[in-house]
Amino acid sequence: MNVNTLPLLPHQQASRGVELRYRNFHELLKAKADEAPAREFLVFPESDRRYSYREFYELSLAAAEWLGARAKNGSTTCIIFRNTPEFLAIFFGAVFRGMTVVPVNPDLAAPEIRFIVENSDGATVFYDPELEAKLGPLVGGMKHVAFHPLGDVAHLTQADAGRIESGLPEVDPTTPAAIIYTSGTTGYPKGVVLSHMNFLVDGMGMAEWFHFSPETRSLCILPLFHNNGLVVSMTTTLWGGGSIVMVDPKASLRSFWALVTRYHATFTSVMPSILAAILAMGFDGRPGLLEGIICGGQLLPLSLAQKFEARFGVPIFEGFGSTEATSYSCFNAFPADKRKLGSVGQVLPISDMKVVDENDLEVADGVEGEICIRGANVAIGYHKLPELEAHRFRHGWYHSGDFGLREKDGHYYFRGRRDDLIVKGGEKIYPAEIENVLSKHASVAESAVIGVEDAILGQEICAFAKLREGATTSEAELLKFCAQSLARFKQPKRIVIINRLGDMPELPKGPTKKILYRVLRDYYGRRLANSEDPEGLKWVLGSQGAG
Amino acid sequence: MTVQELYAEVSPIAVEVLQIPHFDSSVTMNSTPEWDSLSHVQLLSALERKFSIEISADEAFKLTSAEKLVRYLHETLKGKQ
Repeated sequence: MNVNTLPLLPHQQASRGVELRYRNFHELLKAKADEAPAREFLVFPESDRRYSYREFYELSLAAAEWLGARAKNGSTTCIIFRNTPEFLAIFFGAVFRGMTVVPVNPDLAAPEIRFIVENSDGATVFYDPELEAKLGPLVGGMKHVAFHPLGDVAHLTQADAGRIESGLPEVDPTTPAAIIYTSGTTGYPKGVVLSHMNFLVDGMGMAEWFHFSPETRSLCILPLFHNNGLVVSMTTTLWGGGSIVMVDPKASLRSFWALVTRYHATFTSVMPSILAAILAMGFDGRPGLLEGIICGGQLLPLSLAQKFEARFGVPIFEGFGSTEATSYSCFNAFPADKRKLGSVGQVLPISDMKVVDENDLEVADGVEGEICIRGANVAIGYHKLPELEAHRFRHGWYHSGDFGLREKDGHYYFRGRRDDLIVKGGEKIYPAEIENVLSKHASVAESAVIGVEDAILGQEICAFAKLREGATTSEAELLKFCAQSLARFKQPKRIVIINRLGDMPELPKGPTKKILYRVLRDYYGRRLANSEDPEGLKWVLGSQGAG
Repeated sequence: MTVQELYAEVSPIAVEVLQIPHFDSSVTMNSTPEWDSLSHVQLLSALERKFSIEISADEAFKLTSAEKLVRYLHETLKGKQ
């Protein structure tokens, strides 16, 4: 099937037509199960559970039947699990039925989870009972939503008979498969709507780029609730017919090399912060069969890549993409000797990319501008955000907000963000999310949040708060206040009360009263560099981390 | 050392490293956002120093709850005697 025969949106039409062998996730998993029923598909080392393609296809059908008896086809299902067999069984079961899956980070604060469930129109929510204390009030307070603890579906992942393939609806390639929530400029997370076609095209593009095959063994140490885990590790490996070793991302860092060698991993996908942490903590190990490490999600310093490669002898393949492009749209060349280090590589055959100026005009090679992407891997759009969608998906291209350039040889270079997005350990956080929370504190008149350099995480979060006249709150009190509404990785490391600064009594603003974040970053840099800093702004970088 | 005695030894270390109010058998990595990837590494290192043991990298990723961690330490220390 050529995707150009489908009703594509303007920003999904690339210059080259893409031939797609499968129309949806069901066709893909079924084809792999038919092709090699006994071949290993999934390994979960923590619980010592392993599934062949046939086994997991059948239990996905069982999940589809279970869901079909409890929720409408086309409804939305939220999954608040870590990397478990149940996550994937519910994921496949739901998308087999044409339902839309919303993977939710279990570490989000209760108000954030509530927002996502409500905003996505979640009809069914699956959650880990270990989160009962946090989710209890939601379960009791959202009567129109069916909440299911993991125990309700645990039986689906046990070896059992009686898997019946019946009554699955026809699912078009352009049907939404998932809504992935990412940080939003308005202060609330925004949902990126991805279709079956988006997942399959992006998975195919990467699988073909890296020559994934039944011999490929992916080590998945990133969470399935992010597109990297769900697309790069899972969908791409599934497309190649390989196997995936899934571990809990929060527990895997120290065991990284042991997992690589014990499970004979040939590929893994990481954030630059993971490479930095492995180096900084001195975790030694042998690469075994590891052919490469896929890396992106934040700026990868060339020196970090070089140091890592020199120490462990494993090539790093840097790429560029975004949730709105399902995951990656370009990559450094495979095999390793064709790479151009420091570049995020060349565009995948599934996409087109270009660099534009502030008037949306394409710039010449070598000139910096905003990177734009189009192709069948580009999302349908944003959930319930028509204005933002019209702005970011305009003139037939997705405008990424990322700055970079293309060289004459077609290699792209990523330089940074056009806006003030903070990228901490791969997690993207807009200042507005934190400013929104701080503005609700009775003592805070206004606030501004910036990202500051961190040796391991790439960036940490620093907030500046202006207190109302007469207010006497402390930094500790404000940090505690943030902790009630924000996931830990979004909480500022420091909150500087600017009323107490001698040289910056007000937040810096431009003529239109817009906060000048660049001035705040400069100010932070100057204060941080000052060893006699009276406010003690300098903290021990990297002493705490994002999960 | 019994499991209960081990909890008494491990809890103050875990409370300090993870910056959480208490560390008992109900605490899991999943339910504790403070127990993240870097603090997991720090916690295991602190426990290695405390008990003069080496926690195997083959096991470290499985120690995702207070109960699993303390049981692992119990077995390891028993084997050391």
